[in-house]
Amino acid sequence: MIRTMTIEAMRARSELVTKTREFFLSRGYVETDTPLLAPWLIPESSLEAFATEFKHPFMEEMPLYLIPSPELWMKKIIADSRTNVFQLCKSFRNAESLGRLHNPEFTMLEYYTIGGDSSSSARLTEALFEALAPPDSPKEARPPFRRMTMAEAFHAYTGLDLDSLVQEEAMIEAARGLGLMVNSEAPWEEAFNIIFLSLVEPVLPMDRPLILDEYPAGIECLARDIPGRPYKERWELYVRGIEVANCFTEMVDGRAVADYFRSQAEKKAQALVPHAVDTRYPEIFGDFPPCSGVAIGFDRLFMVMMGMRDIGEAINFPFSGFFKDKAKTEA
Amino acid sequence: MVRGGEINLGTCLLINGAPHIVVDREFVSPGKGSAFARVKAKSLKTGNVITQTIKTADSVEDAQVDMVDCQYQYFDGENFMFMNNESYEQFGIPLEAHEDKRPYLKEGETYTLIMWEGEPIDIKIPYKMVFTVVESENYIKGDTVSGATKPVTTETGLVVRVPLFIKQGEKILVNTESNDYVERVND
Repeated sequence: MIRTMTIEAMRARSELVTKTREFFLSRGYVETDTPLLAPWLIPESSLEAFATEFKHPFMEEMPLYLIPSPELWMKKIIADSRTNVFQLCKSFRNAESLGRLHNPEFTMLEYYTIGGDSSSSARLTEALFEALAPPDSPKEARPPFRRMTMAEAFHAYTGLDLDSLVQEEAMIEAARGLGLMVNSEAPWEEAFNIIFLSLVEPVLPMDRPLILDEYPAGIECLARDIPGRPYKERWELYVRGIEVANCFTEMVDGRAVADYFRSQAEKKAQALVPHAVDTRYPEIFGDFPPCSGVAIGFDRLFMVMMGMRDIGEAINFPFSGFFKDKAKTEA
Repeated sequence: MVRGGEINLGTCLLINGAPHIVVDREFVSPGKGSAFARVKAKSLKTGNVITQTIKTADSVEDAQVDMVDCQYQYFDGENFMFMNNESYEQFGIPLEAHEDKRPYLKEGETYTLIMWEGEPIDIKIPYKMVFTVVESENYIKGDTVSGATKPVTTETGLVVRVPLFIKQGEKILVNTESNDYVERVND
């Protein structure tokens, strides 16, 4: 069994967990604890799940899935209780890369603020960083946050005017104009991601944490549209070039949520691990309060605050070690 | 064709019509996006390194290259002159795209060349190579702490930091990626 985390790191991580709980509890947030094993998931075409089965001598078998995030359950609690909530729990994502920044089983920190929006969540997250960062944490992981919109980043690093590239063909042409290879049938989102991942993300400023704000509306998600402009109230937080958090002003319009579900369920038909979808989910939004949610990869948060380079230093028994163990037990 | 998810270090891709060798690759999945391979590839013609991002499920054109063993003979002022070990055919590789290889080219040594459409486009340098020290300052024994090193120059002009006991005329094994000294080689 390959353990790469030191006892000192375990102690520091445990302190970070305690401080996180203190931060939210002192602000009146309720800590939730929801199932990790679920009979249905939110359809998200970008994620793959782990599937298993419930077995019982007298009952029918039931397919179950490990959650890729606790979002569905937390939103049900918000709809019922209209209370600010937070949760620290394991989440699971299949078919992602292994390596320096990924582990299929990871810890997620999610928090939702009633009446909040993506701007107030940015301030809350900055305060969280202020409260959590150990005194000797690297400067790149400490507030104040830098803020840049996606359109500003595109303009600065590619010279492109993102506002004018809402059409599929225009985005493909823009990518090709920059010497990037793009399939002529590529959807808008793919052409966007090819430019973003090749030329923008690798050169984002790293001197301080960066809120990359206003993601294009062309990337489907459960964030609210910015009226009159082709963007959403969504940001991602990059620390040292590593994607650490994602935030939405939550989409609360039941019809828009139902459309999102329909479109994602269609795309999900090509998933490696198909799963059941709770079709009642959009009903939650019949009377859902305006709110904003943030999801933080807690292992990565710990990593950047400690100045670690590899997620294996931040967690015990990283998945990559299982392959080495497997090779040894088979030998 | 090669799938994005199958691209590896050393894979040769045809990018905008020119052969490129993959020097770095990572799998990235942007938030709410699918999986991509972000690849750094070096043009085998100009030496420029570019970044391309390819969906792991998509296929891209790979460059069909051949590996041929050739002996390095001499530098003619503009070209590195090689001879094919099988056909004895002689040809030159222009200095400009491969200047970084110069300190690793030893006359009479065999190297693997990467050929594309009949043209040599890259020289593979072995991971470890033996060089002869041609220039070395003499240090007096006992006047420095253990683990101290000094710079020496090899017959190819490569500068390597070595332990103080290495003398001019001796042979050393060098890691060609880091230019680190590995060990002394006795004939």
